[in-house]
Amino acid sequence: MTTTEETPRLPFARANALAIAPDYEALRRQAPISRVLSPAGDPAWLVTSYEEAKEIFRDKRFGRSHPAPEQASRISHAAVQDGPSGDFDTEEQEHKRMRRMLAPAFSAPRMRALGDRIAELTDRCLDDLQAAHDAHPGEPVDLTDFLAFPLPVLVICELLGVPYADREKFRGLSERIARMDGGEDAQAAMTEFKAYMTELADEKRADPQPDVISDMVAVQADDPTFTDDDLARMGAGLLFAGHETTSTRIAMGTLFLLSDTARRDRFAADPHGEVNRTVEEILRLTATSGTGLLRYAHEDVEVAGTRIMRGDAVLISSDAANRDATVFTDPDEFDPARTPNVHLAFGTGAHVCIGANLARTELRTVFPKLFGRFPGLRLAAGIDEIPVRVNRVAGGVDAVPVTW
Amino acid sequence: MKITADTGSCVASGQCVLLAPGTFDQDEDAGTVVLLADEPADGEEDAVRQAELTCPAAAIRLSGA
Repeated sequence: MTTTEETPRLPFARANALAIAPDYEALRRQAPISRVLSPAGDPAWLVTSYEEAKEIFRDKRFGRSHPAPEQASRISHAAVQDGPSGDFDTEEQEHKRMRRMLAPAFSAPRMRALGDRIAELTDRCLDDLQAAHDAHPGEPVDLTDFLAFPLPVLVICELLGVPYADREKFRGLSERIARMDGGEDAQAAMTEFKAYMTELADEKRADPQPDVISDMVAVQADDPTFTDDDLARMGAGLLFAGHETTSTRIAMGTLFLLSDTARRDRFAADPHGEVNRTVEEILRLTATSGTGLLRYAHEDVEVAGTRIMRGDAVLISSDAANRDATVFTDPDEFDPARTPNVHLAFGTGAHVCIGANLARTELRTVFPKLFGRFPGLRLAAGIDEIPVRVNRVAGGVDAVPVTW
Repeated sequence: MKITADTGSCVASGQCVLLAPGTFDQDEDAGTVVLLADEPADGEEDAVRQAELTCPAAAIRLSGA
């Protein structure tokens, strides 16, 4: 006799921007790894438990390519994390090359050097926030317009060597490539995004600058197997990942700090002393992915008694793993005193987020400055009134109305 | 507490450097971990323990008390 219970389909609904969908915990109670349907309707494994998430992140038998891509489960209709990427035979080697190429630009020494510049850009954003407030006294100001969006964009533009003046163009492209429900348009936007990057790469080739796109162009000159298409896709990916994700964390982090006045006051009383631990807790708790991170099994693997077959899609939900009660006491509580706080917000293993240092540097700069300058900052709407974006790869919220 | 770091398995995430900047650094060219001393710098014992736990490549090992 077969079960008549329906296979759950991603993305799961949640109560508000600060909550996680209750379905994750319900699934985890049954098993660390569950059978689900992707937003595109294809079968996938969903990993909701911490230990198994960590194990699969670190297991080389899982990758982003697929042995038979045309048969692979599709995840969504977005143009990132939608299905297999890269070549099955050369993935590991290609990935190593990419990490080697990018590691210096994202290293801690470079981030230290960039720190003062990030502080300066943050001050400028806060001036704009104040000016918007002064222009319409008494009315709420949207923090996403003046800080959460522009700051990461200014920083990633500087690092990659992308003109800030083009922000509306690539903001539009980023939004379109990451929409999970936009049909064919996401792929069309990726094509446009790559054309934009190709043009930019041509400019750097003619006139190299101290920036990441110039670095990639220089690598390409010595390595013909690194194609124009590879370069364009990587450039678009870095630009997307560099602003959408950090932007989301700034917005959600502010919501976490403002949703409880005592929490805000504690942070505002000693922002520099509290910031590192607070940022880790923001990273742990901000549930930003509707699907989790995608891997495909490169051979048959058994994890926690579950047999995963070669070619199966596996979605690793860091959001769910970061709230696993077997690892984190009172997992839904915001507790900056939590130690150790070994969350998986950046993944782990060989594919760990290359921008983790950049994100941490930005977040560690932005919150002390924001609350140092506006210690009485408060939300101008109830947390339930803040609309959650459910159709985006990076999740997030559309607006953070604040006042002071 | 003695620290060892395996540059061969290091994936250049630099998480250790942000956690314990007095104990770890990163090679400017390769991005791999550089151990500034084989024991934690003053006040960085907890941070070094956290670095061992968070290292994405499990490249940092601690031994002794």
